[in-house]
Amino acid sequence: MLNTIMKTKLFGWVDRRTGAADIIKSQLTEYPAPKNLNYMWNFGSLALLVLVLQILTGVFLAMYYKPSAEFTYISYTVAFDSVERIMRDVNFGWLIRYMHAVGASAFFVVVYMHIGRGLYYGSYKEPRELLWIIGVVILLIMQGAAFFGYLLPWGQMSFWGATVITNLFGALPVIGESLQEILRGGFAVGDPTLNRFFSLHYLFPLLLVAIVGGHIHALHVVHSNNPEGIDLTKDEEKIMFHPYYTVKDAFGVAVFLLFYCYFVFFNPQAWGYFIEVDNYVPANNLSTPAHIAPVWYLTPWYTILRSFESKLLGVVMMGASLAILFALPFLDRSKVRSARYRPVFKWMVILFFVDVVILGYCGHSAPTPTLKLIGQITTAYYFAFFILLLVVPKFEEKFLKPVPEGI
Amino acid sequence: MTEKTNDSRRNFLYLAAGGLGGVAAAAAAVPFIGSMLPAADTLAASKTEYDVSTVAEGQLVVIQWQGKPVFVTNRTPALLKQIDGHDSMLKDPDSKHIDLVSAKWMTDENRKYRSIKAEYLIVVASCTHLGCIPGYKPSAGRKEWGDSVPADWPGGWHCPCHGSLYDLSARVMNGSPAPDNLHLMEYEYTSDTTVVIG
Repeated sequence: MLNTIMKTKLFGWVDRRTGAADIIKSQLTEYPAPKNLNYMWNFGSLALLVLVLQILTGVFLAMYYKPSAEFTYISYTVAFDSVERIMRDVNFGWLIRYMHAVGASAFFVVVYMHIGRGLYYGSYKEPRELLWIIGVVILLIMQGAAFFGYLLPWGQMSFWGATVITNLFGALPVIGESLQEILRGGFAVGDPTLNRFFSLHYLFPLLLVAIVGGHIHALHVVHSNNPEGIDLTKDEEKIMFHPYYTVKDAFGVAVFLLFYCYFVFFNPQAWGYFIEVDNYVPANNLSTPAHIAPVWYLTPWYTILRSFESKLLGVVMMGASLAILFALPFLDRSKVRSARYRPVFKWMVILFFVDVVILGYCGHSAPTPTLKLIGQITTAYYFAFFILLLVVPKFEEKFLKPVPEGI
Repeated sequence: MTEKTNDSRRNFLYLAAGGLGGVAAAAAAVPFIGSMLPAADTLAASKTEYDVSTVAEGQLVVIQWQGKPVFVTNRTPALLKQIDGHDSMLKDPDSKHIDLVSAKWMTDENRKYRSIKAEYLIVVASCTHLGCIPGYKPSAGRKEWGDSVPADWPGGWHCPCHGSLYDLSARVMNGSPAPDNLHLMEYEYTSDTTVVIG
């Protein structure tokens, strides 16, 4: 079909003015991709799909949402009421809001799978270091956008989550206090905070689109890694992206939508994981909920924060746990990419995945002495994983399995 | 006029022009960042008047100042006695760390009670760890509070978020994640019972 379109007169007219045919050929129909990609390679296109869904639903929600903390009745506010109005009175408002709320969690599910794939198969290694680093920037902007968005319903969790996180910045020496005031626009989280978070929640996805463009561009320069983690030199080892991987990605989309629609239509709260129960209580600055926890996708980092007695150290280590991702391509100097041929690394990275899940569990639960200890142990391994990568390539050599010449 | 270009002169001009452009860009950023600081009306609402006689003996009231919650407690002589004798359990018994935890009206005599009038303690109600509002647990020991407080609990506040503990003068206890005592602020009594905070 694409071929028929590209032969039309209209396409020819556009092509002479934009070079569209060259772009389609180099990026799709003649773009070579490894023939052995497994289903772990579906999550990149899924992340792109969810980003588009989030922007689309977000634009429509913004037509009805009102970012104002002005009181309407007792502790109810304009913002809280406007969200409830979307849910009850706006045509299909419930659907669009649940798509957006479930989409936020879905975005992190697919992106965490995507990152895990990159870790396991060594996709961060030469020549893909910058591709990985751009990806970490995307992760940070996503987390920022999610944090800004969570304040908007102006429920108890929105309010106290934002209070806790803006307080983190206050821990930094010298600039902390002013940074906190700049974030809040006042002495506490309030109406000015809500307005600026709405503005930034609209800005960040636009940044995402631009940086995702850079991510894909960088990918198309260095090309996809593959499960074997070897450089593919022969033509018969590759197939064209279109139609082979466009079809495979479309199949992935269908499977993804199955899960997505289950949550949107039947379980949008996801047992309190996607939308926390306390957030259906209007924000009240005089009463802290008994237990404050971020949404699941931020809880691993929240545990790292809580694992340190000193507030400043906790904040610094939480920052370091994200910043160390930037350094990963330069920490691990092993020439072998895929964990398939690095048995030692394979168990380290599997343990790391388990570790992050436990960190997430600890961050989601109310603090107890046992969980605090488990949190501290898992925090230690989180950092140990990266530090060990400095020395692992030196002594794992005798365990390495032979890497195949080709596929 | 010579045909040859003078590279070092050119580089100097590039650097000078670029540097000046950088200064101009930084200057242009000032109003944008400035606009994110608290606005004039937010600053204007920075004082609160309150009648402390409305707080009954032993009672705790939470009022608002600058959008922040503030504790006003009326400590009975029995509660004031509970403040004695556990300085070794405190991180900063004399509130000396920073200005915010030790306001200008602080004298050596009122360091223990951290208030102008001993019975009325007025402190910012945000835990100095991450800003949650600590719960008031005034009676000593574990009888009423279970193991959320230590066995030798002298009475005070317990933060539900990360378990920070403060005594009845809102001084932070050892082992708490919170770094400082609850913040004090400038306030003055304009009459016997009227206090202006801010």
